[in-house]
Amino acid sequence: MGAVLALLAAGCMRPAENRAVRDSKVGRAESGGMSLEVEDGLAAVRNLAAGELTLWGNAPAFTARATLSADAPLDWLLTVRNAMPDAELVAEAEGGELLAVEALPQALPTVRAWRVGLRAGATVRFTVAPPDWQTREPFRFVALADVQEALPRVGDIYARMRRDDSVRFILFAGDLTEGGSREELLEFQERLEAGSKIPLYATLGNHETFSKDAEEYTALVGRGSQSFTFRGVRFSVVDSSNGTLDPVVEEQLDGWLAASRDGTHVVAMHVPPQDPVGLRGGGFASRGEAAGLVGKMAREGVDLTLYGHIHSYYSFTNAGIPAFISGGGGAIPETFDGVGRHYLVVDVDASEGLREVSLVRVD
Amino acid sequence: MVLESPPRSRWASLVMMWVLAAPPSAARAQSAFDLLSRGPELGGMDVPSDLRRPARAPPIRIGVEQGLAVHPLEAAAPAGALASVREGAVEVSSAADRLAAEVPPVEVVSTVPPGTPAEAAAPEAAPVRHTDASDVPAGGGASPAGDGTGVSAPQSGVPTQLPGPLSPQVRPGAGAGVLSPGLPPLSPLQPRPSFQVLPAAASVLPGLLFHGLGPWLAGDGHTAKRLFALEGTGLGLIALGGVPIAFTGASRRTIAPLYAVTLAGFSVFGISALANLYSVTSPAFDPGQAPLTLPPLELEMGYQYVSDPAFDYGHFVSLGALARFDSVRLEGSARVSPDEGNTQVRLGGAYRLVGEPERALRGWDGTALDAELFGLYHRFPTEGFTASGVEVALRGRYAMARVSPALAGSFAEASLGASFQGYSYPGAVSDGNLSEQLLFTFGYGVWLGRGGPVRGSAMLYYDHRKDDFAGGMRTRGGGVVGSFGLRGRALLTEDWGVGAELQAGGALVGRLSLIYAVGGEP
Repeated sequence: MGAVLALLAAGCMRPAENRAVRDSKVGRAESGGMSLEVEDGLAAVRNLAAGELTLWGNAPAFTARATLSADAPLDWLLTVRNAMPDAELVAEAEGGELLAVEALPQALPTVRAWRVGLRAGATVRFTVAPPDWQTREPFRFVALADVQEALPRVGDIYARMRRDDSVRFILFAGDLTEGGSREELLEFQERLEAGSKIPLYATLGNHETFSKDAEEYTALVGRGSQSFTFRGVRFSVVDSSNGTLDPVVEEQLDGWLAASRDGTHVVAMHVPPQDPVGLRGGGFASRGEAAGLVGKMAREGVDLTLYGHIHSYYSFTNAGIPAFISGGGGAIPETFDGVGRHYLVVDVDASEGLREVSLVRVD
Repeated sequence: MVLESPPRSRWASLVMMWVLAAPPSAARAQSAFDLLSRGPELGGMDVPSDLRRPARAPPIRIGVEQGLAVHPLEAAAPAGALASVREGAVEVSSAADRLAAEVPPVEVVSTVPPGTPAEAAAPEAAPVRHTDASDVPAGGGASPAGDGTGVSAPQSGVPTQLPGPLSPQVRPGAGAGVLSPGLPPLSPLQPRPSFQVLPAAASVLPGLLFHGLGPWLAGDGHTAKRLFALEGTGLGLIALGGVPIAFTGASRRTIAPLYAVTLAGFSVFGISALANLYSVTSPAFDPGQAPLTLPPLELEMGYQYVSDPAFDYGHFVSLGALARFDSVRLEGSARVSPDEGNTQVRLGGAYRLVGEPERALRGWDGTALDAELFGLYHRFPTEGFTASGVEVALRGRYAMARVSPALAGSFAEASLGASFQGYSYPGAVSDGNLSEQLLFTFGYGVWLGRGGPVRGSAMLYYDHRKDDFAGGMRTRGGGVVGSFGLRGRALLTEDWGVGAELQAGGALVGRLSLIYAVGGEP
């Protein structure tokens, strides 16, 4: 029995390791005469065939490097789903030459498509981003988590969001679906595209790991841990779905923390390091690890932490950092809390940091 | 020493007893230890090796029943019969003993069932000298068996029974509350059930799901029935607490009691599963018993290794001290990583609400309820923070022989409490939050030793806390589940012992300590 326990424990020591390794492969593909690599894995390759490339964006702005073989087709259709509605494509050949790009009209606001002519044997750098992504103006985004079995009703939330034209994107802190299956994730994305006029950038939750340890999530959505910047604000999402950060992820986070030590930094993850209701213990598996993580984020000047996993709304601080749990996507709600389905609207500024967080009730 | 417990602790004790042994409803019978002590399990025929020692005998205390050596004739007596035995004279040495030695010898005559031929029962009867002095050392040759145990005789003319050398030293009235319902008394010389492979195998699979299966296959319907009842109780409690947790979304308003009920259910379920295993594997060995005495002070030093991917530390010096008083136990422990600097200090104590003091159980079966209060300080220099706080808990231990004689030598343990901690970060980081934590453990253990110098226990346990070195398991459900472990602690001689622990949660923890006992009786 001791041996069984030891084996069980060994499996529980780094349960997120495989996902962390798998993350490094997101955005890489080779097919149809093209070799593609999305920098920092900020988009998942959904389809790559001769003359066609489809990506699922998981950040407002990202770049990709494509190398064509000598016999590759020259005329390519690049489609980015889950893109910023005003995203533009810049295709730059080696040497800095800009290639001709033709935007194609799309029915869905978060789907963008372009036709671009490439050169055989050449390497080209694609940049997909809204025109204002490098400015430092304040902006507003939505924080949401834990839709799970309420997926058929998630349209209500998107409908409520559509009433606010100022929000730029949704930052989703995990548990998109109940079981993380391919069918569920595809349904989530279809409902998102049909109901929302802004994209949704996510990390995974523990429910995504229920199906093949989130293999489908990685293939359809992207990395569980990643970092991007928008208007001078850094957003880092990390995979805490097992109540821990894998050492690989923590090392990545160390880099992102250092990169934005003097800037505004928002960190989101699914399982909060510390549950504000300590008797419940819905946070990390190790309170020592949790305290170490939030202390590190505080020392590195993180401005805001956003969590899910607990299906309610909590406003608190961890190591002095403003923290919010917003698990109001519709999964079995916490009762007696006076809060039903909800999301947060966050106003943030590259210079000032966090400006305001507002609770928006859906029901 | 019999403690008078306040009414509140009696209530707490009753609740704990019910949780751990829900089924014993209308049971009113004699002590399982009484039964066992008359049988060979704990002293009828098989004298354990650790007691077959000459000369170094514990002192005799008048007024406290001591085990007697097994007379060869007793071992040779037919089943169902208690022989009339006359023990050899006891040699005395102290002044008090000399005074006592002047008392005329008294024959100790045990009860003789009707129909037992006296000649056949005691052909080699010898006189027993009765002393009234206290603390009479029983020197070599004091008992014919040379096992070193002493003897105290009853008053002249009062028939008595001769307990075996390993029988629990049950005080008058100590067994009054001990239950062994529905069972006829065991035949004194009834052979212990033999180990059977099939029930043992079945107790693992599918026995881990059907907790009475092992003893049922072994022909022990009583134990099987009780374990099935325990399992059902556990599942019921899990449902009683778990279903509302699911439907309330683990509401902050109701989570504490619901969590406690759910975890109590898991503990009863887990205990019945392990009792199932124990009941069919215990015939393969001699069950242990609660130590008669434990030293007033134990000092401990050892090594601890921690493998945790989230931390740099690994090697620790482990220090500890344990002081036992009548009703109070004080404990202190320190874990220090010499290279990394991580330091954990835990100080506190426990007050025995129910049960005999640990220092001198003297025949009590180990059932007890303690109130605990501890302070914790944990410094993480590499990670740059310190955790400190207090914790309070109730910890109960229940002799499983009260559930069934087949479980003699084992016990169940559970604790419930809460801790309140604060985290401090040196430098500019500030955090005024006070974090509470539900403390819950349960385990199934066995006593090590059977009245000799080897005294201790080993326990397989679950610990729900997340703030120690093992932390909780990093599962797909997040960090809800705590850690599992195996802990053993035993004195191997009068002065020296070992402690060892393996714990598996988010980290793997192993610890090995050397224990030095100061003072006390062997």
